[in-house]
Amino acid sequence: MIRFLNVGKSFPGGRSALKDVSFNLERGEFAFLSGASGAGKTTLLKLIYREIEPSSGQILVNGRNVASIPSAKVPFLRRSIGVVFQDFRLIPRKTVLENVSYLPRILGMRQQERKRLAYNTLRRVGLAHRMSAFPAELSGGEQQRVTIARALINRPEILIADEPTGNLDPELSWETLRLFLEINSKGTTVLLATHEHGYVRALGGRTLVLDRGRLVKDEYLEGHVGDIDSDSAEDVEDPARQPTGRMA
Amino acid sequence: MLVRIFGYFVSEAAVSLRRSWKVSLVAIVTIAMSLFIGGTFLLLTANLSRVVEEWRDEARIVIYLTADDLATEGSRVLEQASEPFWVTAVKEVSAAEARSRFENMFPSVRELFKDWEEEPLPPSLEVTFDPEVVGGERVDEWLASLRSDPAVVMVDDDRDWLRQLEALIAILTGLGAVVGVVLLTAAVFTIASVIRLTAYLYRDEIEVMRLVGATELFIRGPFYVEGFIQGLLGGLLAVGGLYTGYLILNPRASTTFLGNVVVDRFLAPEVLLSLLLLGSLAGLFGAVLSLRREKLG
Repeated sequence: MIRFLNVGKSFPGGRSALKDVSFNLERGEFAFLSGASGAGKTTLLKLIYREIEPSSGQILVNGRNVASIPSAKVPFLRRSIGVVFQDFRLIPRKTVLENVSYLPRILGMRQQERKRLAYNTLRRVGLAHRMSAFPAELSGGEQQRVTIARALINRPEILIADEPTGNLDPELSWETLRLFLEINSKGTTVLLATHEHGYVRALGGRTLVLDRGRLVKDEYLEGHVGDIDSDSAEDVEDPARQPTGRMA
Repeated sequence: MLVRIFGYFVSEAAVSLRRSWKVSLVAIVTIAMSLFIGGTFLLLTANLSRVVEEWRDEARIVIYLTADDLATEGSRVLEQASEPFWVTAVKEVSAAEARSRFENMFPSVRELFKDWEEEPLPPSLEVTFDPEVVGGERVDEWLASLRSDPAVVMVDDDRDWLRQLEALIAILTGLGAVVGVVLLTAAVFTIASVIRLTAYLYRDEIEVMRLVGATELFIRGPFYVEGFIQGLLGGLLAVGGLYTGYLILNPRASTTFLGNVVVDRFLAPEVLLSLLLLGSLAGLFGAVLSLRREKLG
């Protein structure tokens, strides 16, 4: 589904963000992308939906070489990938419903159909009651869920999330993770970047670890409730610990 | 589906116009000014051209004869004047009739000739001709021979001042075109700047649109429509201004000869539509120009 072959990425000025990264993520798989801040997680995710292009190597998404897709076709690649941005990237002047239904609008869906789809997706993330609100009226957790709803609305084959729990309290973080696992259980390939090792250790599963741009580990971890750091320890009873997808 | 997408462009453009109405107003007024000035030239030249066409149909060549010659030499000149095939009629105007015409035309100065013993104005022959046929060297030769005739005081050819009027119209048309193009170019660049500024204001939003899979056309479409609407509104403002000016000036101007000539009729509907279309296309062009090299977002 997602294949990285010796991928490198350097930015102007010579700073190397990724070095010789190779891995393969199968269809329906769930994987954590772990590493400290600045390890290259966001860069790696951006390469998948071609916000940036690799300096070397190849990236295959659904068998297509992402770097060789013509610019005019990139929007079609992005429509097949749901992206949950770390900083939400919601449109401030649009309501929750309008933000979520933006992609169906691009696709030319009828208003009624768009609204129904957006409403159902918002209900799925528990935000149907806030559909008329504007992003500024929402809490960080609610904004995060709007972003997830927007990423999910087109039933993408791939869902990538960049630090989706970074701005959330432990309780909301668990809720969000549970949602990703639920999405994964329905066949969506999920790649979730996080620097919070506690969640990774608690949930276990496939984990790709980046360190200063290099993929230093690609392993399957057993979930260990006891390893969770103190911030999230109180929430480990969450059913998210029992994923039903192809996580492990 | 296309209708829905176009509807989205229009609604987004309307939101943007409302949101940044002050800068949009600058663009609209700029384009309105250029079209108003261009339209004013069109109004003047259209009215002048119409008058010239009417006068061309009524144009004559008047051969003024020496006094009393209408009875003696007049018949010879009359015969010479009637010869060419382009001449449709020759009318004799006696000195008395000429004076009578003058007094009717200028009643305030009719007392001027009251005590004159002789007729003040010469008799004449009024030659009407087919304006479609008349012209060329043979006419000039014919006029030259009449002018050299000792029985002829003067030959007044209406076509001389019609030609001068046509030259004036050509100058006005050229001037209008130059001024219009210069102002329209300025308006296009103003719209381009306004659209670029708007796109800059929306840059974060545009980035999000792009990342969730919007095509370039979907992102740029609302800006193109916004430019088009700005141009259209500018055109409507210009047409409204021209019509208001016409309504104000026409009743006052009709009492004067010049006024009657220059603002007698308003612009034809097709010309007004052309102005609106020109404004709209200028706006659209400005938008396309502003986003041509922009990597939005």
